[in-house]
Amino acid sequence: MIIVNYIASVVLIALGFYVIVSKKHLIKIVIGMSIVDYGINLFIVSTGFNEGGTAPIYKMSEFFRGSYFVDPVPQALTLTSIVIGACVDAMALSLVIKLYKQYHTADSDEIRRLRG
Amino acid sequence: MMSYIHFPVIAMMTLFLGAFLTVVFGRKSQAVRVFLALLSSGIAFCLICALIKPVLIDGEVISYWMGNWSPVEGYAIGIGYEVDALGLFFALITVFTVLLSCVYSIRYMERDSSLDFYYVLFLMLSGSVLGLVLTGDVFNMFIMIEIMTFTSVGLAAFRNNRAGSVEAGFKYLVIGSLGSSMTLFGVAILYGNCHTLNMAQLSSILAGKLTPSTVMAFALMFTGLAVKSYIVPFHTPAADAYTTAPASISMVFSGMVNKAGVYGMIRLTYMIFRAMDKSSVQLLMVIFGVITMFVGVTMALAQHDFKRLLAFHSISQIGYVITAAGLGSALGLTAGLFHAMNHTLFKGLLFLCAGAVFYATGTTNLDRLGGLSKKMPKTTICFLIGAFSISGLPPFNGFASKWLVYQAVYEKAVTSGNIFYAFATVAAVVVSVMTLASFIKVTQAVFFGQLPAALEDTREVPALMRLPMWIMSCLCVLTGVFYDQVSKWLLMPAANATLNVSDYIDKMMGEGYAAGAGVVNIPAFAPRFSFWNPVLWLLLFVIVLAAFCLAIIGSKGDRAQISAAPEDAVDGKYATFFSGEKSLPSHVSGSDLFWGFKKNWKGYFKVMDDIHSGRVNDYALYVVAAAALVTVFMFGFVR
Repeated sequence: MIIVNYIASVVLIALGFYVIVSKKHLIKIVIGMSIVDYGINLFIVSTGFNEGGTAPIYKMSEFFRGSYFVDPVPQALTLTSIVIGACVDAMALSLVIKLYKQYHTADSDEIRRLRG
Repeated sequence: MMSYIHFPVIAMMTLFLGAFLTVVFGRKSQAVRVFLALLSSGIAFCLICALIKPVLIDGEVISYWMGNWSPVEGYAIGIGYEVDALGLFFALITVFTVLLSCVYSIRYMERDSSLDFYYVLFLMLSGSVLGLVLTGDVFNMFIMIEIMTFTSVGLAAFRNNRAGSVEAGFKYLVIGSLGSSMTLFGVAILYGNCHTLNMAQLSSILAGKLTPSTVMAFALMFTGLAVKSYIVPFHTPAADAYTTAPASISMVFSGMVNKAGVYGMIRLTYMIFRAMDKSSVQLLMVIFGVITMFVGVTMALAQHDFKRLLAFHSISQIGYVITAAGLGSALGLTAGLFHAMNHTLFKGLLFLCAGAVFYATGTTNLDRLGGLSKKMPKTTICFLIGAFSISGLPPFNGFASKWLVYQAVYEKAVTSGNIFYAFATVAAVVVSVMTLASFIKVTQAVFFGQLPAALEDTREVPALMRLPMWIMSCLCVLTGVFYDQVSKWLLMPAANATLNVSDYIDKMMGEGYAAGAGVVNIPAFAPRFSFWNPVLWLLLFVIVLAAFCLAIIGSKGDRAQISAAPEDAVDGKYATFFSGEKSLPSHVSGSDLFWGFKKNWKGYFKVMDDIHSGRVNDYALYVVAAAALVTVFMFGFVR
């Protein structure tokens, strides 16, 4: 059932937001960000799903109006989004390492020199 | 053969190619890096300027399908680039900012290491913003937003030996990626509904048909792009990043990165969803705008760092743009675009001046600066022009656009009869006054007053750094004096293109597509510019300036020497408030000129201080909470 995917994706996104808002450890915040990403990826790939559709691989001669297949565009979007998500995580983690070296902590309550 | 249809894509690719070539060849030699950066930003500038004639003057809309994947049976398949007057208007702002920032960087960044990374990130940031404003595809827009966020983070944290820069980068990344996640979620919902990602086709499908799921997509994309334009309550990472980034990058951030967010909001509300005729959406945008204006300027009054103060002013000015653009009227949109352009000019200029002060003295702390007008007279003149412009003094450009904003908001108050818009008009005027007050404080604290002993051997910055500053100063005056020409050649085409969506759709999807989908145009308009005569104001300004100079020359020498502020003041905010003790003659340092105001508003500033707590969790909470509020508002009132 595809509806399960939608529910799961919204739950994942909400869970990710909760983690970002409530967890003080910077690594956990980064994990929260990636959970949001996974939720959205699940959502996108689900929008293209057609029950019983074939793989979207056709020659031009085999392609006709009634061809029934899974929408390939969301899959391409998901791939792109996964790559971007991985980059975000890598960049965020490298910043956390830098922060840990400078502040000797990874607690977001301590890392607040810029305020006011 | 119309060769210029390739220009937008080539301009964007040139910047990305320049970034790539800098990685390959720019490792060793500074000359190669500078050459590549100047070459690619110069080419992009020329290519975009070459589009002025066809797009702005002849009113053409350029469409370009990547790999020639043109639409099949009315469905867009490929990625389309589409340049209308609105996109070109923001593209011009972008390439102009990039070129000037690049020139400024040559000398300004010379003392930093790892400059190859700087130029790579800089060129990628430029390319992504240019791509964002020129693209006609919502997913491509998301990709460009992500590249923009990454490179901005890298550049905000570039001087990672300075306190707080990595912290600013991390906050910017968390908040920025929350924003782009929301945008992506909105795009996904739209795709699920309409099975297309092309803006023109989306616009024709969504015409007047808002279902619950598209309202959800609207709310999410609205919030996502609002995060990118850093309006309150999403402004917190922007204030940090503008402070810690090198000044050439702060200029790029406030000049084009947050303009890209503003562009996205205008494109989304006016063109993709065409929701600006709904009074609820107008109200939402104006509420955001007014809060942004007010919070930005009051936070600026409390700052003790030159660049952080400018950052909060930058946020405050974006409030004007959002307020004006959110009115949904042709006059409001013109005012918003005019102020967006002027903001790029004067705020870029002010950030460059702050950079010049940092370059010359090594600090941006207002308590340690003072009296620099004697050492850096040329920078001082540039700064004064920027300060006059942002405070809205005639005849500078800030006055012209702010006046248009007041006029537009007041007109809205009259036509709609809503008391909130009358309040917004008053707020806009009051914020402008507070901006002026704040700039009097900065001018006093940095350029006049007592020169600290540590800054005795300060020298004027190199000519190559002053060149972009002079160009921007001249443009600040010119766009203020010749506002009617600017309006005729730049603003009117952009505003009319935004309001007449059917041209945009037809050019992309084929003739008659918009009419088939029931898209109705709003007739073109001509704003009434009969409100002031800049030449008289210029004369008055010159006379007052001359009188002021005479007064200063006349009074020289008999001013008592006062000592600078105590270095060891722990909390500078209220430190200089002395009650009337009998014998001790006390004074207020330049950076604390408005202590009385701060004292009276103690409660408000306490709340603001708690809100800007520096905790990344709190900042994320504002984003999520605002997203939830916007969603609820949209479901409740947008139909």
